[in-house]
Amino acid sequence: MTAQALFIGFFGLAAVWFGIVVFRTHSMVRSALALLFSQTALGAMFLSMQAEFLGVLQIMMMATEMSIMAIFMVMFMMDPGGLGKMDMTHQRRLSLGTGVVAFATAVTIALFVDWGPITSSAPDATQQTVDLGLELLGRSMLIFETAGITILTAMIAATAVAIQPAAGGSRHGR
Amino acid sequence: MGVELLIALTTGAALFGIGLYGALSQTNLVMIMMGVELILAGAMINLVAFWRYLHPDNPAGQMFVLIIMTVMAVEMAVGFGVAIARFRAKGSVEMEEATELKG
Amino acid sequence: MTTVLLLMLLAVGAYLVAVIEDWVYRGHVQLSAPLIAGIALLGRESVVPRKPDRIFFETGPVLLLISAVLAATVIPLTPGLIVTDLATGALFFNAALVYVLVALLMAGWGPDGAYAMIGGWRFLGQLIAYAMLIVMPITAVAMRAESLLTMQIVASQSDIWNILYQPVGFVLFFVAAMALAFLPPFDLPTAKGELAGGVEAEYTGARLAIFRLGRLALVITLAAATVTFYLGGWHGPWLPTWAWIAIKILAVTSIMLLAGRYVPRIRESDLLGWCWKLGIPLALLNIFLVGVLALVFP
Repeated sequence: MTAQALFIGFFGLAAVWFGIVVFRTHSMVRSALALLFSQTALGAMFLSMQAEFLGVLQIMMMATEMSIMAIFMVMFMMDPGGLGKMDMTHQRRLSLGTGVVAFATAVTIALFVDWGPITSSAPDATQQTVDLGLELLGRSMLIFETAGITILTAMIAATAVAIQPAAGGSRHGR
Repeated sequence: MGVELLIALTTGAALFGIGLYGALSQTNLVMIMMGVELILAGAMINLVAFWRYLHPDNPAGQMFVLIIMTVMAVEMAVGFGVAIARFRAKGSVEMEEATELKG
Repeated sequence: MTTVLLLMLLAVGAYLVAVIEDWVYRGHVQLSAPLIAGIALLGRESVVPRKPDRIFFETGPVLLLISAVLAATVIPLTPGLIVTDLATGALFFNAALVYVLVALLMAGWGPDGAYAMIGGWRFLGQLIAYAMLIVMPITAVAMRAESLLTMQIVASQSDIWNILYQPVGFVLFFVAAMALAFLPPFDLPTAKGELAGGVEAEYTGARLAIFRLGRLALVITLAAATVTFYLGGWHGPWLPTWAWIAIKILAVTSIMLLAGRYVPRIRESDLLGWCWKLGIPLALLNIFLVGVLALVFP
């Protein structure tokens, strides 16, 4: 057991614990922020796996995303404070079964597959950042640009769907 | 030998399982999206682990993770757009009530 | 060792910020004012409101302080004096500062008060406005330095400071930094006149002291970041490096605090509109211009 394994295990446990809290707490803001801390623990796992750029990016992006999630929870839920202890689930037995089976299958596969030689050293962080930049604007440029265009399309589409329809029913009325 | 990889993969599997449970069991659109986020998070940790322990010299592995982050952002944007539109029209985003497309 | 030094410097810096803030509001310098106010705060009872979300209520102020300190760890003060020279320093700086938002949301939601909650959610809207204007100017700065290392960024400005090389970026970053630190005129989450203190409203005693301390540390960190990214860090003629950086940081802090005195508080919708319709196109233009400059004069 190396220090790296200990760190990964610790942050992994934290991520899983907060992931469970997401669906166990009644307070919606707590739920969204538990998801945030789950993702942050994941970012810390990336950092312990020496993927520095990805770890920092994950920690940064998720904070904004999950805070926005929190306000939508408060806007759209009937009981955002969780004081009424409402039950908001259905088909619990089936879902729990599916989740456990999926987990067990994935772990079994991970245990029994021969992963081949494990590399113990990774390039240092500066080199990684350079490599990733060259990859993004070199071989994978088309994919990267497609991702950018997809985000732009999603932004426009989401705004168009969400925008307040004008009185009188016409979407383009002004 | 490979303990780190195994721990990371187990974490990914656990997050995937929790996310699947959430996405299937919750009745609210926003909570379902949280489940989907957890599923994607599980995929992400697996990819980073594969990159780090199997192919650390290939930056394409890291790029795949960036693409997943993009997918998460797109999912959030479109999901919330749909949620707002539905809330305007029906006054709730409970998915039990969304039966208009049922045959 | 550098960590302890940085924490001490941050404490001194926060104290000076408090003195300057006091001077801006009351018109005369009183060096002991923050000390007296601090002791008075610590001596008071720290009230817990009815039915709080206890975890968030306690975590909020502490998280604000932690995120400000974490952001300060990647800021180089003099050559060699940096706590962690991360390969992704400029990005880590953003990542740490996003947690200011999380801290304010927690502090707003935690105490179960209407004004506090409105203040917290207002800051989320404010983030939507300023976040891009923090990240995109830093992108341009990193483009010129060809590195995310903050040390490299300072080194790249040894000839000509970034404030002259990319003035548009400087203005945008400066304004966005003020919005991030919720200084007036961007003090929407803690608006004194309309929200009765907003996020701060339900905090008293030691917790309020931590909250205020976190905010002061945030201001000094952002001033240090402005100096690092745009004002050439420790570079300057005649004086030693530590003197230059101290003078620059204090000057930036004073300007940030003074600006709020002469501008009325901005409306949330105006802030969003200006940031997205004016700020982001300007930031993109800035990135483009820096790219052209970097290619033409390598």
